[in-house]
Amino acid sequence: MPASKQAASQTSRPFWSGTITFGLVSIPVDLFPAVRSREVALHMVDPKGRALGRQYFCPKHEKVLSTQDIVRGVQTKSGKYVAVTDEEIEAIAPEMSRDIELQRFVPIGQIAPKYFDHPYVLAPAGRSAKSYHLLAKVIADSSRVGIGTFVMRGHQYLVAILSDGSILRAQTLRFDEELRSAAEIGLPKAAKAGAAAVKRLAAAIKSHTGRSLARDDLADRYAEALRRLAGGKAKAGRDVVNAKLTATTEDTGLGEAQVVDLMERLRQSLGRAKRSGRPGSAGTRRAIARTG
Amino acid sequence: MTVRAIWKGSLHIGRNEVAVKMYSAVRPRPVDFRMLHRTDLEPVQQRIVRKSDGKEVAAAERRKAFRLDAKRSVILQPKELERLEPASSRRIATCHFVPFDAVEQQAYDQPYYLGPDESDADYFALAAALARQKAVGIVRWTMRTKRYLGALVVDAGHLLLITLRRADQFIALPETAAPALDGKELRLARQLVDLAADDFDPHAWKDEYRRRLLALVEEKRRGKRKQLAPPKARRSRGSLAAQLRLSLEKAKKDN
Repeated sequence: MPASKQAASQTSRPFWSGTITFGLVSIPVDLFPAVRSREVALHMVDPKGRALGRQYFCPKHEKVLSTQDIVRGVQTKSGKYVAVTDEEIEAIAPEMSRDIELQRFVPIGQIAPKYFDHPYVLAPAGRSAKSYHLLAKVIADSSRVGIGTFVMRGHQYLVAILSDGSILRAQTLRFDEELRSAAEIGLPKAAKAGAAAVKRLAAAIKSHTGRSLARDDLADRYAEALRRLAGGKAKAGRDVVNAKLTATTEDTGLGEAQVVDLMERLRQSLGRAKRSGRPGSAGTRRAIARTG
Repeated sequence: MTVRAIWKGSLHIGRNEVAVKMYSAVRPRPVDFRMLHRTDLEPVQQRIVRKSDGKEVAAAERRKAFRLDAKRSVILQPKELERLEPASSRRIATCHFVPFDAVEQQAYDQPYYLGPDESDADYFALAAALARQKAVGIVRWTMRTKRYLGALVVDAGHLLLITLRRADQFIALPETAAPALDGKELRLARQLVDLAADDFDPHAWKDEYRRRLLALVEEKRRGKRKQLAPPKARRSRGSLAAQLRLSLEKAKKDN
């Protein structure tokens, strides 16, 4: 499939579609990633700047494979592979695949940071805007997050549903069984520390404590260095090629086209947008400043 | 069974230094999918090809292009990229500390445990001091020629270093205004949340799906066919207020 056609078909396709159930109320939603991958500006090219991409092939048949030729499988203890189809994967847990049932509402502060996995945005699907807004409002007012589980792409996820008042977000959480314990790693048991040392370190921490995170705290120093290097070379006219030549979508995860599309989607489904945000500006500000 | 350290470093806080070892806090996934060729169940391999003609391109011939704008990309040569690599160091520099709730959940990425290296006393003193101040350290370090950004936190008396996502990764969401909501519906929905209010108990949630997936694989290995049940989509009936009222009655009965 040509790259451009592939990109078009990926646009606006949510990562997952299903319903949030809250009591007997079902709210159809589409789920989109809320963060993009880091090296979004870097593309793999050949020495002349022509785009490279990944291709799947079968080493036994020396055959190039399309997605139709590929099936997912799990390796058994004997080393053999057993294929599992998408239908089978869905059928082993039909009740989990379509629903995020909010079973508990817990204070967000009780969830230790090690559990937070991946952030997503939820957009209302179908005609669910009214119940979507109702849930967004009550979750925001409760200072709690809804907890449930769901299945996406063949894995079950624990998930927290958060709200800023008008937009619902989902944050997948790691199951406790996915995490090692300190004892399992072999760390010494937490011991009582010497009062003098604690006091000295607490004072050092205190003298270096600010009130909130600054945008620069989360700055990507490597991306900055890359930008400087590329900018300098462009000025000197070295190794500059046409951007169209280098463009690929598949190795960048959530491409800018999808980001723009998601914004449009949210704006339409959530109605009366006040203002459009430049990608990487307002949301980041909110992400950092809100809790500051 | 103990886990091997992946790195050794030294935390710098003002003039204080605490030697630590780093361990991955996440277990490898016990079940993972592999992509297979449908006809012979051979694991699929990947290769890098030129998009225009589909020819394979060897690693030595691959470059990275930085996209400056819609029109221009700049090819960055391997030597130039090498020069951007930071010098190797054992130092974990603490930029500063912020209150625990100043770091938004969306920023947390990969967790690593830190363990004491030379002195248990220094390590546990730092953990205790950090817990007392209810603070998170924002730290930067270099590990195997790569830059890292992380949050230093305390978890049940031990130190954890959790990598943080960079500012540019967050997608700006449009600012939307919530519509006016029905007062009665709001009241009912609030009561539903209150009825389900609880403490977060991480041990209460199990990956049930993984167990079922392993059972499916075992059945298929032995040549048994699994009956497929088509997934049912749930649909709400009645007005939103009526659904909320019914939910509330049911929740009260179940409690």
